[in-house]
Amino acid sequence: MLFLQVLLRVLPSSDLWNATLQFGALLLLPALGGLISERSGIVNIAMEGMMLTGAYAGVMSALATQSVFGGLVGAMVAGGLMALVHAFVSINFKANQIVSGIAINLAALGLTNFLLFVQTGGQGVPSLKDSLRLPNVSLGPISHIPFIGPVFFQQNIIFYIAILILIGIQFMLFRTNIGLRIRAVGEHPQAADTAGVNVYLVRYSCVIASGILSGLAGAFLSLGIAGIFNSNMTDGVGFIALAAMIFGRYTPWSTGVACLIFGLGEALSIRLQDSHISPDLLSTIPYILTLIALVGLIGRTTPPAADGVPYYPGSE
Amino acid sequence: MAVPLAATTASNVMARIRKILQSFAGPIFAVVLAMVAGSIVIMVTTPGSLPDRLSGAVAAYQALLYGAFGSGQNLSFTLTTVTPLILASISVALTFRAKLFNIGAGGQLAMGGMTAGVIGFELPHAPGWVLIPLMIIGGIIAGAIWGGIAGFLKAWRGAHEVVTTIMLNWIAFFFTNYLINGPFQSLHTANQTDPIPTQATLPHISNFYNYTLGTFLPKIANPSLYFVDVGFFFSLLALVIYWFIISRTTFGYEVRVIGENPKAAHYAGIPIKRNIFLVMAIGGAFSGLAGALQLMGQFPYQLIANTFATQSTGFDAIGVALLGRTTSIGVFLASLLFGGLRQGGTYMQISAGVPGDIVYIMQALVLFSIAAEFLASIQRSLRRRSISRRAALSPSGLATAVAPLPDTLDERDLNNRGKDNGNVPEQIAPVRDKSGDTINRPPTEE
Repeated sequence: MLFLQVLLRVLPSSDLWNATLQFGALLLLPALGGLISERSGIVNIAMEGMMLTGAYAGVMSALATQSVFGGLVGAMVAGGLMALVHAFVSINFKANQIVSGIAINLAALGLTNFLLFVQTGGQGVPSLKDSLRLPNVSLGPISHIPFIGPVFFQQNIIFYIAILILIGIQFMLFRTNIGLRIRAVGEHPQAADTAGVNVYLVRYSCVIASGILSGLAGAFLSLGIAGIFNSNMTDGVGFIALAAMIFGRYTPWSTGVACLIFGLGEALSIRLQDSHISPDLLSTIPYILTLIALVGLIGRTTPPAADGVPYYPGSE
Repeated sequence: MAVPLAATTASNVMARIRKILQSFAGPIFAVVLAMVAGSIVIMVTTPGSLPDRLSGAVAAYQALLYGAFGSGQNLSFTLTTVTPLILASISVALTFRAKLFNIGAGGQLAMGGMTAGVIGFELPHAPGWVLIPLMIIGGIIAGAIWGGIAGFLKAWRGAHEVVTTIMLNWIAFFFTNYLINGPFQSLHTANQTDPIPTQATLPHISNFYNYTLGTFLPKIANPSLYFVDVGFFFSLLALVIYWFIISRTTFGYEVRVIGENPKAAHYAGIPIKRNIFLVMAIGGAFSGLAGALQLMGQFPYQLIANTFATQSTGFDAIGVALLGRTTSIGVFLASLLFGGLRQGGTYMQISAGVPGDIVYIMQALVLFSIAAEFLASIQRSLRRRSISRRAALSPSGLATAVAPLPDTLDERDLNNRGKDNGNVPEQIAPVRDKSGDTINRPPTEE
């Protein structure tokens, strides 16, 4: 009963929904990255690490170039490089992709902490000044519409980019030749190879794309939301994104919806901090929902057929 | 066709030794590679001239080694890390044997530790001889349930255990946080529980020795210097149990068959689903024990919010299980190494000023090189190069040198034999003539 009362008080506030969309976008980028990678047949549980690297590289290159854009590029390059390692090890060396993903996460944690210590002499980076942060953008007159304006049209610039990327990926995967190739490679690489698709190239591109998207999300976190880099600041966001991708059954639209639901959970858990509802318990909800989805109670989740299976050219 | 018995056994022994050495080669190579890469990272980030950088790296590694195993006290610190690591690694290694991937050791450990704690908080006046076994068993059961859920979902609902254990990990982390911040929060300090009852704590080995064998043998001076508790013995016992389960029980045999050939297991009538469930549950039990022992054996004997989520034991365990080739002795040695790295890293940061986080980078490299079988790849490419040299750099020879060869001799290779190998069309693939040299035969000649 108490829970309902609190919920009814909080739900109409535009702040809550603004935060929901913000968290949703933060989850959406790595979730879409993971989706692209898994669609091409490479399991990626390393979005967490790629995000963390991106967050760190974003702050460092923003400080070095004294521009947000420099930071953004740095973050995406760093995320892409981590993904390149994952791609190289999983595609060329046929390594177990889960082990490689875990290694990327460990490496990212070690690397960012190590470099943070070395580059700042153990001081940590200071808070970024406003000119080095990703700006919030109000979209002209529509941002003044009551409720809808503050919720949808006074978001961080990355939010709008994330929405565009979502639409782009949905279109690319299901309406273009490239998307068809990606899905073919993920479902049946041998057949795709026979049809003249370069399996390695497609897989490399998709894994690197996942790193770039995760790096972008990392920049969103450090340059946008937080304005600072802290050790291990992603704190499991990459794993919630993984859950969202699975909950969304490896399709962009549903993944978007999953990110919204999980984003709402996250926004609620912050909003309800001083009420009697435990934010920790609320935080378990995304994972419980995903488990339920996996078990098949809300329609079954099936990964692409060749997901996680190394491709040996010429094999049957 | 009578072959002398002695000759066969001798060659068998030689073959066995060769096999053992070969199985050690990969892990040792991985560790050496990680060490070399780590030293390069240190040298790159140390200021000064090249000799300065070199001596910096040497000093860092000396500190790492000393911090890990250099003194009795440091060794005892290392062993406190090794205790839960061994148990969590057994949990991962056991499931590896069934070709299952338990990355939920961290969550199972959290549930085990939490349950042991709750039992301790609820029975503060029970005597130690009741409380200690109760907490240990509670931890084991909680871990088994947490692992068993993933096993159940895998066996009967087909949900991939990697995904479910990741989800279960985070549920466990947040749920334990809830209990630590909520019902079991200390009245004095936020974000942590009270310590467990003193009679439920496990004694340090040094004290234990002084009160038992030490009564008639020489006592250990300054026993409070050595932090490792008797939980370490439990982990050694667990290694023996693990070995026994895998190599001396029907269950272990069935698990290995399922891992190596699920089809054969199915036709042999092995209950695959039940065994998948059991192997995950038993694996979870080991991790749960790790959580309980960690709480009961190590200062500050209390649960602190967020420590389970940030503790990397569950992921370290994967590295240990892989590095130790899922054998008992291998897990023990690899745990010593990883535990030593962890403790030594902390010491290195304090005494040599090199951030201990470099240890994570080394662990990641170990994982990469084991998963990717770098050593085997290098050996293969060396073989390939010697072949291509003989091909006198003919275009076909080059093609062979870059053609991806199948990695391991498995079913896939058998299928591939005599067939189109990769992107190299068969017609221009080099054909070896009787003298052993490769010659190029254009298809038109055939």
